[in-house]
Amino acid sequence: MSTPAISHAGAHELDDLRSSVRALLATASDHEAVRAALDTEAGYDTALWNRLAQELGVHALAIPEQSGGVGFGLTELGVAFGELGRAVVPGPYFSSIALAANALLASGDVDAQDTHLPGIASGETVATLAVIEDAGNWQTDGFSTSASPNGSNWSLTGRKLLVTDGADADLLLVAAQTPAGPSLFAVTADAAGLTRTALITLDITRAVATIEFDTTPATLIGAEGSASGILDDVLVRATTLLAGEQVGGARACLELSVDYARERVQFGRAIGSFQAIKHKCADMFAAIEVADAAAREAARALDGFEDSPEPAVAAAVAHAVCSDAFMFVAAETIQVHGGIGFTWEHPAHLYFRRAKSSQLLFGGPAVYHERVLTAHGI
Amino acid sequence: MTEDIEDFVGRVRAFLDEHASRRETDAVGVWGQGKDHTGYFTDDPSDVEKAKVDAARAWQRTRYENGFGWITGPAEFGGNGLTTTHDLMYDLIESEYDVPDTGVLSLIGLGMIGPTILAHAREDIKQRYLPAMYSGEVIACQLFSEPAAGSDLAGVQTKAVRDGDIWRVNGQKVWTSVAQHSQIGMALCRTDPDQPKHKGITAFLVDMSAPGVDVRPLRQMSGGAEFNEVFLTDVEVPDDHRLGEVDGGWAVGMTTLMNERASVSGESDGPVTRAQKPEFLGGLLRATGHQSDAAARAKLGALVADLTAAKYMGTQSLRRMKAGSQPGPEASVGKLRWAQNLTRIAHLATDLVGPKAMADTGEWGTYSWNELLLSSPAFRILGGTEEIMKNILGERVLGLPKEPSSDSRTPFNELRRSGNPS
Repeated sequence: MSTPAISHAGAHELDDLRSSVRALLATASDHEAVRAALDTEAGYDTALWNRLAQELGVHALAIPEQSGGVGFGLTELGVAFGELGRAVVPGPYFSSIALAANALLASGDVDAQDTHLPGIASGETVATLAVIEDAGNWQTDGFSTSASPNGSNWSLTGRKLLVTDGADADLLLVAAQTPAGPSLFAVTADAAGLTRTALITLDITRAVATIEFDTTPATLIGAEGSASGILDDVLVRATTLLAGEQVGGARACLELSVDYARERVQFGRAIGSFQAIKHKCADMFAAIEVADAAAREAARALDGFEDSPEPAVAAAVAHAVCSDAFMFVAAETIQVHGGIGFTWEHPAHLYFRRAKSSQLLFGGPAVYHERVLTAHGI
Repeated sequence: MTEDIEDFVGRVRAFLDEHASRRETDAVGVWGQGKDHTGYFTDDPSDVEKAKVDAARAWQRTRYENGFGWITGPAEFGGNGLTTTHDLMYDLIESEYDVPDTGVLSLIGLGMIGPTILAHAREDIKQRYLPAMYSGEVIACQLFSEPAAGSDLAGVQTKAVRDGDIWRVNGQKVWTSVAQHSQIGMALCRTDPDQPKHKGITAFLVDMSAPGVDVRPLRQMSGGAEFNEVFLTDVEVPDDHRLGEVDGGWAVGMTTLMNERASVSGESDGPVTRAQKPEFLGGLLRATGHQSDAAARAKLGALVADLTAAKYMGTQSLRRMKAGSQPGPEASVGKLRWAQNLTRIAHLATDLVGPKAMADTGEWGTYSWNELLLSSPAFRILGGTEEIMKNILGERVLGLPKEPSSDSRTPFNELRRSGNPS
């Protein structure tokens, strides 16, 4: 990977980053605003997208300086994803900043980075990554989507499933098979032979599409046959950012639960004074503390800090632990709330949906628990 | 001026290089190697146990003579006047060396009771006991829990009645670690049963060799007897051995317990540490023929993820402590997870071993998992039960309201007590 050395924010800078993103989201993206944004044509608040990109530079955080970014690492970007998760903000943040940007970085293709990263960093370009096919699982080889040379360029034929933000992205990075092996390609939104179908989704804050390619013009990214390594790298980095987002979502759920448990009175007492409820909250807190530690440690490891664990191990652990923790906490949040938590109006289901969908995005428990063992050499 | 950490580290290494050798750690975690033990509780014959206690005392004496006996303690009582960060660095460095385990002295006495004596005893009592404790001569135990006062420690019933310059103590304590090796014990006693429970307690230092002190081993379900019952019958305690004010013992006891939380979640080297290592559990999976068993792999994968994440939490806590900050709520979370994870290991391991865990066939790494299995119920009880830890997290960290109750306002002798319904 040809990523240049990254710089790091100090503890105060990290706190400033966290509080400025939190402050903006608190005013511009409370739960009411989230619902309003979901009802717009884009399905997310495009003005907020631009403010986060331009006023706070969130999109640029982990993009190298020569590609229009700030040059920080996953530690810093993870803080921003934590806040996006906390506020359950809809929009193609994960697709563009976590998946596509990391695919371009991992490709080592300087031309492609020069072409696409500045737009992702500024928020002008919405990009995503298309990997999953009919099998329904993240894969790094054996794609049935095929690419064949077409003059100086390539053309793609095949079908991709479960592409996050695939219907509206300006730039699609697509894994496809060539005679040399799995390879990565860029396809622009206006390309011929491209059919994109938005799907009804479990997580209503994260759009998903099916994309069909019929001799669609495409540009090779990185070396032909190099996509397996790129996708391995993307998986490790994207799941680490997802872990940060999951911890943020879980913390928001716990805050909702604790606030409610302190205010809601039944049998003449605040329900939080009952151990049955108090201990649920304590279990949620414990799960979050452990998950937070795992997410931070994975980001640290990938950022190359001294005294860090093996990055592949830390990332696999973070993905497993944070996925399990968020799902547990989001489910218990509804139980703490009782009936009100089961209503459409209450935000709990936004987190519940996000938690299950995020848990399954890269294969789900069977896959990620196996990945933990593999990373440990078991 | 506090000694610079780097200078201190250099001094510690020089001391340890002179008095000890490096620990061999390469084989730790390799399946099939080393002692076939998984247990938390030991079950040594008494001569072996006595030799271990003697070695612990001797090593503590060596530390003391070289200026590392009580790193955070004040100089007038034999301490070295440094910070908790220095203390932590000493422990971290010493863990690289092969030295006697001093837990018998340090976990209760030096870690918890020493700081309590320093905070609450008379000057002459501090002079009498603190240097003796930190030089390895005096071992101290904690006479807190009683048959009817477990999680509700403020319900102690052991009575102390004043008679001039002495107090006469009668009652029964239980779950007393190291009482059989101790010269002194710190007891919480009921001195005014007409006050609400927290307000009628006084703390004392009891001479364990005094007439009327009867220490009896308490055999636990794992087979060994690491704890004791201590019966106190007309034991005379001089008033100068009182800690804090008369009826002010609850606050004194809290000083002791505040020093407990940090030490219980600490990890010691031993069979339980090895049992938590992913490579060791991977060895178990292979040895039991479950390498390709999807159900077993899914369970082990989830467990290894949680174990590794808990380790990361500990690493981060240590990093913050090295930077000088005190442990936060994660100390309670660490204890909860430690107990839960070890319990999961115990059951998964015995399930993977299968019928060979039922009887000792002599095969390495099979029947021995029962040591961990039979230790495991204690993990969720000792050092604060799971329920109490969750109350602490819920109330002190999350700010949830306490359970309404009248027992902290009602005079103690009017409360309903176990075995004494009213």
